[in-house]
Amino acid sequence: MSLHKLRLAAAVPVTISTFSSRLFLKPFPNTLTLGLFSRRLQPRKPLLVRAFSASAAVQDIPATQTSESSARPQWKASIDFKWIRDNKEAVEINIKNRNSNANLDAVLELYENMLNLQKEVERLREERNNVAKKMKGKLESSERERLVEEGKNLKESLVTLEEDLVKLKDELQHVAQSIPNMTHPDVPVGGEDSSAIRKEVGCPREFNFPIKDHLQLGKDLDLIDFDSAAEVSGSKFFYLKNEAVLLEMALLNWTLSQVMKKGYTPLTTPEIVRSSIVEKCGFQPRGDNTQVYSIDGTDQCLIGTAEIPLGGIHMDSILLESALPLKYIAFSHCFRTEAGAAGAATKGLYRVHQFSKAEMFVICRPEDSEFFHHELIQIEEDLFTSLGLHFKTLDMATADLGAPAYRKFDIEAWMPGFGRFGEISSASNCTDYQSRRLGIRYRPSEPLQTGPKKGKANLPATKFVHTLNATACAVPRMMVCLLENYQQEDGSVVIPEPLRPFMGGIELIKPKLK
Amino acid sequence: MSLHKLRLAAAVPLTISTFSSRLFLKPFPNTLTLGLFSRRLQQHKPLLVRAFSASATVQDIPATQTTVSSVARPQWKASIDFKWIRDNKEAVEINIKNRNSNANLDVVLELYENMVNLQKEVERLREERNNVAKKMKGKLEPSERERLVEEGKSLKESLVSMEEDLVKLKDELQHVAQSIPNMTHPDVPVGGEDSSAIRKEVGCPREFHFQIKDHLQLGKDLDLIDFDSAAEVSGSKFFYLKNEAVLLEMALLNWTLSQVMKKGYTPLTTPEIVRSSIVEKCGFQPRGDNTQVYSIDGTDQCLIGTAEIPLGGIHMDSILLESALPLKYIAFSHCFRTEAGAAGAATKGLYRVHQFSKAEMFVICRPEDSEFFHHELIQIEEDLFTSLGLHFKTLDMATADLGAPAYRKFDIEAWMPGFGRFGEISSASNCTDYQSRRLGIRYRPSEPLQTGPKKGKANLPATKFVHTLNATACAVPRMMVCLLENNQQEDGSVVIPEPLRPFMGGIELIKPKLK
Repeated sequence: MSLHKLRLAAAVPVTISTFSSRLFLKPFPNTLTLGLFSRRLQPRKPLLVRAFSASAAVQDIPATQTSESSARPQWKASIDFKWIRDNKEAVEINIKNRNSNANLDAVLELYENMLNLQKEVERLREERNNVAKKMKGKLESSERERLVEEGKNLKESLVTLEEDLVKLKDELQHVAQSIPNMTHPDVPVGGEDSSAIRKEVGCPREFNFPIKDHLQLGKDLDLIDFDSAAEVSGSKFFYLKNEAVLLEMALLNWTLSQVMKKGYTPLTTPEIVRSSIVEKCGFQPRGDNTQVYSIDGTDQCLIGTAEIPLGGIHMDSILLESALPLKYIAFSHCFRTEAGAAGAATKGLYRVHQFSKAEMFVICRPEDSEFFHHELIQIEEDLFTSLGLHFKTLDMATADLGAPAYRKFDIEAWMPGFGRFGEISSASNCTDYQSRRLGIRYRPSEPLQTGPKKGKANLPATKFVHTLNATACAVPRMMVCLLENYQQEDGSVVIPEPLRPFMGGIELIKPKLK
Repeated sequence: MSLHKLRLAAAVPLTISTFSSRLFLKPFPNTLTLGLFSRRLQQHKPLLVRAFSASATVQDIPATQTTVSSVARPQWKASIDFKWIRDNKEAVEINIKNRNSNANLDVVLELYENMVNLQKEVERLREERNNVAKKMKGKLEPSERERLVEEGKSLKESLVSMEEDLVKLKDELQHVAQSIPNMTHPDVPVGGEDSSAIRKEVGCPREFHFQIKDHLQLGKDLDLIDFDSAAEVSGSKFFYLKNEAVLLEMALLNWTLSQVMKKGYTPLTTPEIVRSSIVEKCGFQPRGDNTQVYSIDGTDQCLIGTAEIPLGGIHMDSILLESALPLKYIAFSHCFRTEAGAAGAATKGLYRVHQFSKAEMFVICRPEDSEFFHHELIQIEEDLFTSLGLHFKTLDMATADLGAPAYRKFDIEAWMPGFGRFGEISSASNCTDYQSRRLGIRYRPSEPLQTGPKKGKANLPATKFVHTLNATACAVPRMMVCLLENNQQEDGSVVIPEPLRPFMGGIELIKPKLK
């Protein structure tokens, strides 16, 4: 036990010394994947490993200091600990249903200790004030000396306790940030197989000729070049060529024009962001298995989805209720390391390091988020129906939800080349999970029947907004669907009607003359 | 002097030992900037510094080893035509001076001569060793055999050591010679920026009868650009485009692509993360304190500053058919630049940003055609900007304003009323064989038609390096500066140029939003 802790233990009857070891023996939540962009909550390396594997000289470093090196969060989530404590059972069941490794007991114990320590700090402050008050009167010199001594002791204890309080709060943040969002009551409990089909559109096209997959079509029609990209950049990068470039532009233009009709504001976004924003949105920018590319020598990284800069656009602000809902559709390039991805589903355009995407994002009042979740999935379904895809919408089961999602609808479309359905979009309601991290609040409008005089003190309290995100068009996966489903016997590919006006009237991608 | 060098000096009468010090006393070329994306040739730190500042124990390490391990070992080699440089020493020297380059021709030539001599010496020793081996095949007195064995052994040792030295010498030569800039087109004006010649001027500055706004103010008033949120989320000089600005970006790119495709250019999208060697081969410097290039943590990859880089890479290390030339591309990509060291008024708003969208043209052609395509490229640019109604001038950039790869460069500068001056909006460069010698892009000339019916592979004509050219078709943010500032109306609205309207759903005017 460290000197530091001994000093603390002498001052307050709190068993903080047990936290660290408990914390480090239970590593952080396991890998959870969320749709197109898996949100991996890194299993953090047990931090005491450092001390264990170090030389004898290093082992003398107090344990708290070691843990400190990890914790010190750069930002804090406004987690509602009181609510968690008061709903302990529901949170515990939720953690279990979502297959999360979050340690609720550790969170609650740290929280209670934090509260006790906070009370103790307040008690000591009061005592110190009392001592100061007493010293204002006329006093025997011995009495004054006693009071001076007492005040000095109290001040020293306070300084120590306040330091400990800061550390305790940091540890609490560190552990509590892994608690996943609560879950919508209608979400099926279980693993991937338990996901419920919400809707199914169309049926698999029957081909009367041997079909090609999109890789073969891309090669034969001179549309996609993976080989050059492998030399220039690495595997899973690609050049689009000829009509594929026009098809990408048409997909994005058409999607934007359709979604704008529903009142969504178009945006382009930065693709380099501070890594804290990535964290606040619920992604893990660091660690061996991170999906996130980091920029060398800065605290910035590349976005894996426009959801990140969209979440950041109103960070740390209080919105007017009348400004809500804010509905955005953003076009960006997305960059993912795809660390650990392997297997057949990684073939061709299905899983790549860089791609174009149009992403919808909604910021709304808590009572409206369910409505907008249905609006988002409806928009997606309408878009893919217009393009003539065969797809199904799934209400994803608890174990398939990333930490931020309260509920998630995935759309999987038929990909004849793979001979199976593949995910093409995802719509999540994150309720206040992201807004509590990003600090996005709104101030409810005051009731109309209030008296004529309004002081600032009478303003209603701010609340956290709800955020939702949904894929409008992830270009490469749409290309897989369009190329494979619309291929003709002669090797050409038909362009779906809605896209034709956006690509100069082209109706057919024909094999090029050599 | 190191043991190693002593051994070498004993074997060959070459004064290699003097190179290192000379090399290190003359640092590498100074900063040169090239248009939209400055190509900085980093000042390499004098490398002996490391040995000087090291402890006594380190100083025992032979000097050659120090230099080799810390510097040279290039990851790739440019096919530099040293013989041509030697035979055109004076022209190269004048060119280096005109282009304000710090390339050290004397060192290059000295290293080259030494390399050639060492190569000859290696060949001589190899022959000698072969002779010894041949002699030993016959019947011999044992004493004579022993003498030959001994001679062969010492020859072999010398050879091994000299071959190692030859490798090091070649690496040093690469290292120094890569800083020699491309030669310059005879018509390029000699001198600094002021010497650049005006090739063409189109239109005249619009006269405003009202108080004008700059694009930043217009962007704010019309709710088109958000720098403030981007500063929080990403950092300064990042931005969100909003509302009609998003449509305008798409319209600009779509329209540009459609126009340029009519001229036979193949549209592409490109990777925006590339290996850093490709960046180097295109003539940019991906490392160092002042680099313009963002690097990816923990890999040898970086972000592209221009699609020229993945365009240059697409045919890397290949031999093209002459019949396949010219290859003409127009690529759409996002570009990422650190803009290290950029400051001042010209950095305001959208003029200089960390990330932007750009359509870039790239041509790969036969050497005899590159001048023709350089004019085609600048003509396309001029036509595009004329169609959009911009007031601009085309400059034939003076020698001191050329980046190392450019043989000739035309810049277009357009009138930006908010700045009250012209600002660069595009650039068209003929890089002749500077990039292709680094990227390894060759072509095999078609055989003359009147050749006999039997053709062996030995009869194939020798390969040649292609020429490469690059030119901006549309750098979106600078186009936005021009369009917003030049087309603003007294009521605060902005007129969309006619050619773009069909590409943005028929919108003719960006109007102030109702609050």
